[in-house]
Amino acid sequence: MNQRAHATSVLAKRRIFETLIGPGFYVAQTIGLVLAYLLVAGFVRAIDSSGFSYGLNPAYELIGRSLVGAFGATFVEKLFSEGPFLFTLYIAFLPVLLYLAVSSVFRFGLEKKVGALELLTYGPADSTSYFLAALIKDILMTAIYLVVLLVFLLIAAVLNNLILGPSFYYSLIILFFLSIAIYAYGIFASSLTDNSASAIAVFLGLILFFIIIMMGSFTVVSGYVRNLASVFAWIIKWISPLFYWDLALRFVEVGHWGMYFIGVLLLLVLSAVILFISHLTMKARGVRS
Amino acid sequence: MKALPIAVALLLLLCAAALFADVPVREEQFIYSILAFNGKDYAGTFARQEADTIYLVADVDNFITVRNVFVYFWPITQDWKTDTSVLNVPFEGTLELSGREAEPEMLGMTPYTYYNIRGEYELNWKVAKEAEAEAAWQHYQELMDAYWQSVSDYYEKRAMYEAMLNQLTITITKMRDQGKDVSALIDTLRELKAPPEPQYPTEYIVPPVPVQKAFILNLPVGEYQIRFFTKEGQIMERSERRIVAFEKRRAEAIGLEVIPGDKWTRPVESKTPASVLYIDGSTDLYLRPFYQQEYNDLFYEKMRKNDAKGNPTLMKWVRIQQVPKARVEVTGPSSEAQMVLEEPFYVEQVKGAALGYQIVPFDPEGKHKDREPSLQAFHVPISKDQRVIRLRVQDKEGRYLPSGERQIRVITPSRLGIVSLILAACPLIAMIIVMARRSRRYTS
Repeated sequence: MNQRAHATSVLAKRRIFETLIGPGFYVAQTIGLVLAYLLVAGFVRAIDSSGFSYGLNPAYELIGRSLVGAFGATFVEKLFSEGPFLFTLYIAFLPVLLYLAVSSVFRFGLEKKVGALELLTYGPADSTSYFLAALIKDILMTAIYLVVLLVFLLIAAVLNNLILGPSFYYSLIILFFLSIAIYAYGIFASSLTDNSASAIAVFLGLILFFIIIMMGSFTVVSGYVRNLASVFAWIIKWISPLFYWDLALRFVEVGHWGMYFIGVLLLLVLSAVILFISHLTMKARGVRS
Repeated sequence: MKALPIAVALLLLLCAAALFADVPVREEQFIYSILAFNGKDYAGTFARQEADTIYLVADVDNFITVRNVFVYFWPITQDWKTDTSVLNVPFEGTLELSGREAEPEMLGMTPYTYYNIRGEYELNWKVAKEAEAEAAWQHYQELMDAYWQSVSDYYEKRAMYEAMLNQLTITITKMRDQGKDVSALIDTLRELKAPPEPQYPTEYIVPPVPVQKAFILNLPVGEYQIRFFTKEGQIMERSERRIVAFEKRRAEAIGLEVIPGDKWTRPVESKTPASVLYIDGSTDLYLRPFYQQEYNDLFYEKMRKNDAKGNPTLMKWVRIQQVPKARVEVTGPSSEAQMVLEEPFYVEQVKGAALGYQIVPFDPEGKHKDREPSLQAFHVPISKDQRVIRLRVQDKEGRYLPSGERQIRVITPSRLGIVSLILAACPLIAMIIVMARRSRRYTS
């Protein structure tokens, strides 16, 4: 056990170092922050004597209309009721989340394919310590980026006389734990497949599937289709990280802090379960592709 | 050669199709006509054949009738409408209501009326059933009969008064011409008073509707099934529907109607308790606090209009009624709290050729004499120097109302915005530094 922990620690340090000396993480951060800047600046330009009106800014008009069409006017009203930061947080977080998740999945698949993983397991490391190291790297990089994003948005808020709002902070915390579950699914996808392309395809397919199930619950269908869809969604939601994210945010909206933390805890439990399944899969399938 | 006549015929057919394309196709359908209580008043909608669910607020009386009408889709407003001018056949019978566990219950049609009586609050809805409904309608009829009788009496007295006035004026003029003393007649003229105009009955905000029959559904929260049985005891084909009775999640929160001084016809609402009102500070604001309740977005929208869309996973705040005799505490960044009271205002057109208007305090004794105020609201002066204004709504006893706090933030375009863009590029700068250092290490 100690040997595995030591191997995980060494591998994680190496992976973190490699991420910090490569350009990818910085580019993803810059894309996220520039998007955040554009969204905050656009919001400020869409304010007149009666408040925020997305029709005043062409980019926001496009965003607003699309969101109203997909999720309804109430969703958009709530999204921007405290300012631009809730929407900005999710948009600015996406590039880094995608970069970290996809790069880890890609590297896992690649190293499996070329036999690097097999080589590692001849030494003190095993496949579990390998993917745990990748997870630790992703968690640490996510935490760094969320802190950078928070500082950036705080400065943008002060400069423009805006405030971040309580929903922003709740989302910031839950987003960190949501990303852990997503990285766990990335590891799971890698453990199931033999190469990078299929690992990325399975990972993106899984995430897309959860998003569709989540969005499907927003859509109103009738009769037989609705019953079928609701039964299907009810089964699937328990393995979807988006379900626990949504659950936690819904509870905190009405002041149920306990349930919010239970949502956070459930995300961690889900991540642990997925990692355990990945561990079993790797054990059963081995490290050779 | 045959191709040309065929092409011409096809073109003509296409033109004909285009000519008739605007007429919507009307289809005879069995519908449920619904008069549902939406938390603040009663509003009508209908569930057509394809609509499998009816949404109702729980624990209040809702009225349902069944009928055959023409139904059509109106593309301009993107909704379904009924054409009752040609076909409107109401059915009488019974409604079978079954819950999840309970035995099915057979409901008959009940005579009813509903009305809203005047009180301190706007919400004083009453539903009267059976004999009580007849009595309520009778009372209203008597009230209106008495009013119209007093109007008739008034016009009679007014005519007599005007005739007397006319006669006196003629007599005075004649006597003056003859050089006689008219002082007694002038005194009589001065004492002559016009009869008072009768007041319209103020007992009701919404008077009772004529007594009619409907199935009255007052259901606890839950899902139910209904189907309609004709008088002959036959099940009406395609009359099965699901009923969702839902309740508010939260109540008594405070929302604010915000009327900008330059857009008084386009007020906005600040509903979410944590919401912040960002404005450009170009004009003063006029506020009206209201009580609001929180409902499921889809359920509420579908209850108001059965073919509406909504988001089943979201809750929305719904304006219920204005907070009576409220007060608003306004605090600036460096000033002490000020209590703002509700005041009447009048909207005046801006003088000159330019379009626009301004909101000014209502002056009942001066230039607004014999006019009604355009709005009653709380005036919050705004200037671009104020960055943050905090509002707290109090009730008439001076208690702070729950979720009655808001922030107004004045946003002015800042040149410092470019600082954010520079900060956004910081990771790139960090990347360049890291890569340069590594490159130097390996090349040296």
